[in-house]
Amino acid sequence: MATGLYSQHLHNRSIFYIRNSLIAVFLIAFAAVSLFPIVYMFAWSFGPAIESASTSYNIFPGRWSFDSYKAFISFSNYSLKWIWNSIIVATFTVLGNVIFAGMAGYAFSKIKFRGRSFLFFVILLSMMIPYQVTQVPLYILIVKNFHMTNTYPALILPGMCTAYNIFMAKQFFQGIPTALIESAKIEGCSQLMIFNKIILPLSKTILSVMAINTFLNSWNTFFWPFLVTSKEEMYTIQVGLKTFKFANGSLLSPMMAGACISVIPMFVLFFSLQKYFLEGVTVGAVKG
Amino acid sequence: MKVKKVLASVLSVAMISSLVACGNAATETQTAGSSDTQQAVTKTEEAKTEETAASSDVTDTITIMVPPITGDYVDLLGGWISEFNKEYPNITIDVISTSWDDHTEKLTTMALAGEAPDIAEVSYAAIGSYVENGTAIDISKYIDPERLSDYDQNALDYMTLEGTLYGLPLYITIQALGGNREMLEAAGADVTKIQTSGWTYDQFLDVIKNGTTSDRFGFVFANAGATTQDFINIFGVAAGITSSFTQDLKYSYTSDNMLSLLEAVETMTSSGYMPNYAVEAGQRLVMLQTGQTMLTGKAMPLFENNIKRNIEKMQAKDPEAVEGTIEMEYVFLPVPTMDNATASVFGTVDGMIALRNNNTTDEHLQNVLKFMDFLCSGERAATVDNAVYLTGVCESARKAQESFELDQSDENAAAVAYAISKVVAPPTGISAEQSANAKTMMDETIVPKFQALLAGETTAKDVYDAICTEAYKLFGEENCASGWIK
Amino acid sequence: MKKQEIHNKNLSKTRYHMADNISGWGFIGVAVAVFVIFTLYPVISAVITSFQEYKPFGSEFVGFENYITALGNDLFWKSIKNTLVYTVVVIPLSLILSFSIAIMIVPFTKNVQSVFKGIYYLPGIASGVAISVVWLWLYDASPNGIFNRVLALFGTTSQNWLSSSKTAMLSLIIMALLSSHGANIIIYIAALHGIDNTYYEAAEMDGAKFFQKIRYIVLPMCRPTTLFLLVTGVIGSFQVFMNAYMMTGGGPDNNTTMIGLLIFNNAFTYGKYGLACAQAILLAIVITALTTLQFKLMGEDIEY
Repeated sequence: MATGLYSQHLHNRSIFYIRNSLIAVFLIAFAAVSLFPIVYMFAWSFGPAIESASTSYNIFPGRWSFDSYKAFISFSNYSLKWIWNSIIVATFTVLGNVIFAGMAGYAFSKIKFRGRSFLFFVILLSMMIPYQVTQVPLYILIVKNFHMTNTYPALILPGMCTAYNIFMAKQFFQGIPTALIESAKIEGCSQLMIFNKIILPLSKTILSVMAINTFLNSWNTFFWPFLVTSKEEMYTIQVGLKTFKFANGSLLSPMMAGACISVIPMFVLFFSLQKYFLEGVTVGAVKG
Repeated sequence: MKVKKVLASVLSVAMISSLVACGNAATETQTAGSSDTQQAVTKTEEAKTEETAASSDVTDTITIMVPPITGDYVDLLGGWISEFNKEYPNITIDVISTSWDDHTEKLTTMALAGEAPDIAEVSYAAIGSYVENGTAIDISKYIDPERLSDYDQNALDYMTLEGTLYGLPLYITIQALGGNREMLEAAGADVTKIQTSGWTYDQFLDVIKNGTTSDRFGFVFANAGATTQDFINIFGVAAGITSSFTQDLKYSYTSDNMLSLLEAVETMTSSGYMPNYAVEAGQRLVMLQTGQTMLTGKAMPLFENNIKRNIEKMQAKDPEAVEGTIEMEYVFLPVPTMDNATASVFGTVDGMIALRNNNTTDEHLQNVLKFMDFLCSGERAATVDNAVYLTGVCESARKAQESFELDQSDENAAAVAYAISKVVAPPTGISAEQSANAKTMMDETIVPKFQALLAGETTAKDVYDAICTEAYKLFGEENCASGWIK
Repeated sequence: MKKQEIHNKNLSKTRYHMADNISGWGFIGVAVAVFVIFTLYPVISAVITSFQEYKPFGSEFVGFENYITALGNDLFWKSIKNTLVYTVVVIPLSLILSFSIAIMIVPFTKNVQSVFKGIYYLPGIASGVAISVVWLWLYDASPNGIFNRVLALFGTTSQNWLSSSKTAMLSLIIMALLSSHGANIIIYIAALHGIDNTYYEAAEMDGAKFFQKIRYIVLPMCRPTTLFLLVTGVIGSFQVFMNAYMMTGGGPDNNTTMIGLLIFNNAFTYGKYGLACAQAILLAIVITALTTLQFKLMGEDIEY
């Protein structure tokens, strides 16, 4: 564990406490600054459920109520379904990435197979092309060739195993000592057994980091779900929230309420994966 | 003050006079079309019955993509589809609803993929890019000419590029100024006169000067981000620029008129009559409601409704009223006119266009046009027009509007009528390429430079020079207007 | 015959084993299938389109015309410059910030760490659409704007934030720094926890102080992590367009026009899809060059 980085000041505990308090004060102060927009969003989610052109000139709403939460839920028959859709899409995207990008990352770092270097190079290279121009061919593929408009696969498949995650997994697995794998091999373990019995238990941290980041990205993606859904019942929450904006004004507080509700599943996931983050292994640690 | 909407006939006369004003060749057909509408309508009904018989055995599916044109447009559409299906039971309509912000992006992606919806709602200025990529369809071949004559030629002109008609108009939005009557009158403005016969730029400048106090601006125009373009379009008419192209199809933002417009902006911001920072679209109305500004833009007639509702809430001590709301009477005003410029008001047409996709056949297009026409005329168009406090752009919609009652003051109704009469349609010969280049000029040069001008970081002359340089590169100097136009 | 020899030679040199080939491809099979269909195909399609005047019904091959147009466009260069400025400021600062915060979080007990991580992760969690609306309020340029009120407390005059060419880019940078460090902090903390205590103990015996430990243990041990965050951060930053799109639209005098926004506009607003693809390919070349440079500078013998 990283506790050794700091002196524990065993001879003088008061220095230890003062130091930690100072750090805590700084961390809280900086957190307050970066959290301000969120606090603001949270506060205004209790604002009035009216179509307004902009906020009033108050920093916080004059009267606090749950009206906007009610308005968010009753705005469309599918308001809560949007969140549910986002959960389904994000969950399957996460599973796909953790399993397939995890396996691919392992293979790229630890199995010497033909075409490995070239393939990894191509994968890295594909990350360099901005997604704006790949949306059109992707759309043709999903909508025209696969007829998948308004389906979960259309929302999930394109992001099911991203180059970013393969890269991240590879960087991490490189840090696992090759000797460990070689000795397992000598004992007659197949690669699949090695992966299941040796690699996976070592990689809870990286896989949970991957999971939470993938979940977050999937959750916040707007443009692709917007393209491939045309029925309100299939919207994800981001697409749904955009419908609170009209030509001459927006339902601002209900929009904020929706955004606040949509944070909950992510927080649940974050804290349930939290314990794995602390087990700790370096992403792509020094070569073993 | 409730007025019955019987202004329709007055307005149609106004429309015709505006056509004469812009010297359009198609005037004759239009006059003929609207003078014996009664006959036209009867004929159409006959035609419809025949068609029902013909098309009843073939099934067809039409997709339509719309943003929330009115808050409940998608629900309304559902009702209209069932109504349409009574007559054409074999045509299925699929609706794709979008949000205002991202409508264009989704439509473009679908069009580029060859999967465009059959019908899409667009603003007239966006037609060019669909013509350019070959997905827009010449609808005149597929629509019943009798039905076409229902629409005002002026509005159809907006949907026309290089003489080809690509869609049907839904409404003309007139975008101008809105203000607080009491404050305006205190600042020396003869509001009623301005509403019905316009005002000069000098008068305007005087009024906003008198109207500016330590805690109030004389004039606030929403100009943050993409809305900067609104300012140029709407206030451009003050300098006599009614479209990106002149009647002889030269690019108009290189004219001396543009320089005058830019200088006017410089005057207004540097004097403090107008904020020298960007104002978000939503804020202008709040500023008007709370008395932080006397005049605002862009303003539409329908703001009268927003303001009345808000004052009612304030009086009922409803906490949902905008905080600091003051009692006021909203007046809709035309944009002032500079010396040597012809008085005009900026109008923009939103309508439906037909797009090509992999299912497109001639027969399909005829069905598409039936539905498009159904949506853009009669009750359907009237409902939209009423929701935005406007008068229809086709005879049948105006007829349907007669039975509606609009909560609008007589003065504002008169101002709307005056404004509509001053709307000038863009020239119909603009090519798709010109239109696309004009859009690029606007987004990549004019708007960014203009924002710098508003912030006081550059001068009108520098902005003007930069615009000329870029425009000469893009269009060629010979295709750009010089000197004072009109 | 000759071919076969070369083939054999290569084989022996890199020592491919049949079993490894099978298991290797077995492991990456699904990933590669997904990659080829949903990433590679669209990318190749975009490359082809960059040589076309694209029309959904009948594109024309135009050779390098789109590339020539792109390279001859001043705004293209300006947007590359803007993106570069944005990247050069945001990425290092954000890495330093995340690293420092991660270092500051680790001395606490597990529960306290959890709380801090949660707090710092939160800005990233909140929805993109709603949060950009909030940022527009914060940057409101009128004296009533939130940031302007804060400035007024310090006796400073109101700023024009997003609408002045002097502060627009700065505003976007502040926004990026305050809202995008959550994921980086989590990854750094994971990396810090991966450093074995024996390293610190050995260093302490040599009399190393806190900053020496950072310098000689933590930084080198975290280098692969830093490289990963740097490379993906730069790639992400070069492709960024949502901030400019939502906040400034490219804003005063094109001072916040990012290359991503330009590509987006060409593809979706002006209908010049072929040109957009050409610009994207040019951008990809720039990013590839920068990425290679980063690998070289960080001294990582990354094997492609």
